[in-house]
Amino acid sequence: MKTFYGLNALNSGEAFFASLVIGFFFGLALERAGFGSSRRISGIFYFTDMAVLKVMFTALIVAMLGLVFFSSVGLLNISTQIHTVKTYYGAFAVGGLIFGFGFAISGWCPGTAMVGLASGKLDALVFLIGAVIGSILFNELFPVIEPLYTWGRSAQANFNEPGLAFIYQTLGMTKNCFLLLFTAMAVLFFWGAEYVERMNNPEQGGAYFNSPFLKAFCLLLIVTAAALLLLSPQNLDTRASADIAMRQSEESGPSTVRAFMKDVSSSQDYMEPEELADRLLKQDATLTVLDVRPESEYRDFHIRGALNVPLHEVAAFMAKNGESGIIVLYANGMIDPAQARDELSRMGFKNVTILTDGLTGFLERCLKPVSLRSEPVSTETANRIRSWREYFVLSALDQRFQQRGHHY
Amino acid sequence: MGSNKLTPEPYGNPYLAGVLLGLTLLAAFLVLGTGLGASGAMARLGAFLEGTVARTHTLSSAYFGKWGEDPLSYYLVSMLTGVFLGGLFSSALSRRILFGIEKGKTASGGLRLSLALSGGILSGFAARLAQGCTSGQALSGSALMLTGSLVFMACLFAGGYMVAYFVRRQWD
Repeated sequence: MKTFYGLNALNSGEAFFASLVIGFFFGLALERAGFGSSRRISGIFYFTDMAVLKVMFTALIVAMLGLVFFSSVGLLNISTQIHTVKTYYGAFAVGGLIFGFGFAISGWCPGTAMVGLASGKLDALVFLIGAVIGSILFNELFPVIEPLYTWGRSAQANFNEPGLAFIYQTLGMTKNCFLLLFTAMAVLFFWGAEYVERMNNPEQGGAYFNSPFLKAFCLLLIVTAAALLLLSPQNLDTRASADIAMRQSEESGPSTVRAFMKDVSSSQDYMEPEELADRLLKQDATLTVLDVRPESEYRDFHIRGALNVPLHEVAAFMAKNGESGIIVLYANGMIDPAQARDELSRMGFKNVTILTDGLTGFLERCLKPVSLRSEPVSTETANRIRSWREYFVLSALDQRFQQRGHHY
Repeated sequence: MGSNKLTPEPYGNPYLAGVLLGLTLLAAFLVLGTGLGASGAMARLGAFLEGTVARTHTLSSAYFGKWGEDPLSYYLVSMLTGVFLGGLFSSALSRRILFGIEKGKTASGGLRLSLALSGGILSGFAARLAQGCTSGQALSGSALMLTGSLVFMACLFAGGYMVAYFVRRQWD
């Protein structure tokens, strides 16, 4: 399935409308939880009302179960369809601490304060004014604190993005296994929360302590998490598991089809735009890049160094030249190259990858000028973008000037 | 429910509210591809306000500058508008709209508002530093099992417990 983020359409009117509707339910859920009241939210810090813990961990598990399910059955590709934030240990630890100070001091956070404002709370309005002031303060101090903003990037890399870290990899386990452990931890938290409420606030709190509802609810969460563990024993997102699947396919016949399906849905035969750009820039001789679009589109613009081999000629080209190195296929989107790749894979070529998000993604992620980007870019990334633009954009312009020279 | 037409309804089951929040978060991932967010919209509002006062300065600043001439044209701004409308709908439905300052019986309104303001400034600043708040990092990032988001959440609660004792008077 395709998301607005995956389609690069988060700035469209449709996405704004979808955000409004999702925001409505977000506000509704927060208000139902009682988070229009800062006193109730603050209760977690005095062990009198643990609603924040109960609501947050329930929401986390429900969303995790859904995400693991959709990505395990191959309906959702997290690497291309979901916006993921890199890990900066230092920045996030310091930011988390300061945010926690603000949270306990005020009793609000931005989302709940908006619901508080809708419930008529003057202190919520004052908090929101403060949050705007704090953001402006950050902007003014940014040149000074930029090193802190990118402090402590994780050494992990996923989807070819250095610094993108998943907790299950940090802990050395599969996604499904982490989900079960996290669910078990949350269930313990729920029982602990009900217990301390009963101790500290016996009139109002602890209503679900030992209740049939909480027993059934916790059992349901655990069973669902365990079922997902059985449904997909391997984590489809990591290269390691794709390698295991490959080895299995060599060892046993019947699992070949399953391993092939896994191979198709795993990220192993994708190449991220940034990786392609870097390798072309370094004149990597092992790469052959094929532009499978019609010739007219190729002439209009193509990735420097790519050969134009229209879709119906790819098989013939591969039979002649395609046995060694890595072949990267691209078109504007991903559908045509994916079909070609699957066909070549059935023909026995194991060295075919496709460019994630196609030429559109390459333009957006590598060649879009820093000034037009909606998110701030680190100096290091800005430098990479500048060198890619010099290599891929300026050369294309020069070529066009030469062509015009012939015409006039 | 609804025994008295004038008094606010008591809060419902927090676990079921959590399920509703979790399903909303999942929908945000499957439709938008981004999860939920709130602090981003407040920062955009900050960029807009700074831009109306000092246009060239804001556009050339290293952080807000990248958001361009119209920082409010952003999906998180419409999402936070939705949060307000959803909160309004739900609190009106349960008669929980009460105008005033929420505080302890003996605490002064001035104390409560100054703590709300200082907490807001700290949160607004920290959410930029950590690239998200309770919604974007603690909730959305942790649901994706991102290491940094879980670190943020752990530090958020650690920070909260560190200072809560010193500001308890506002609830007395």
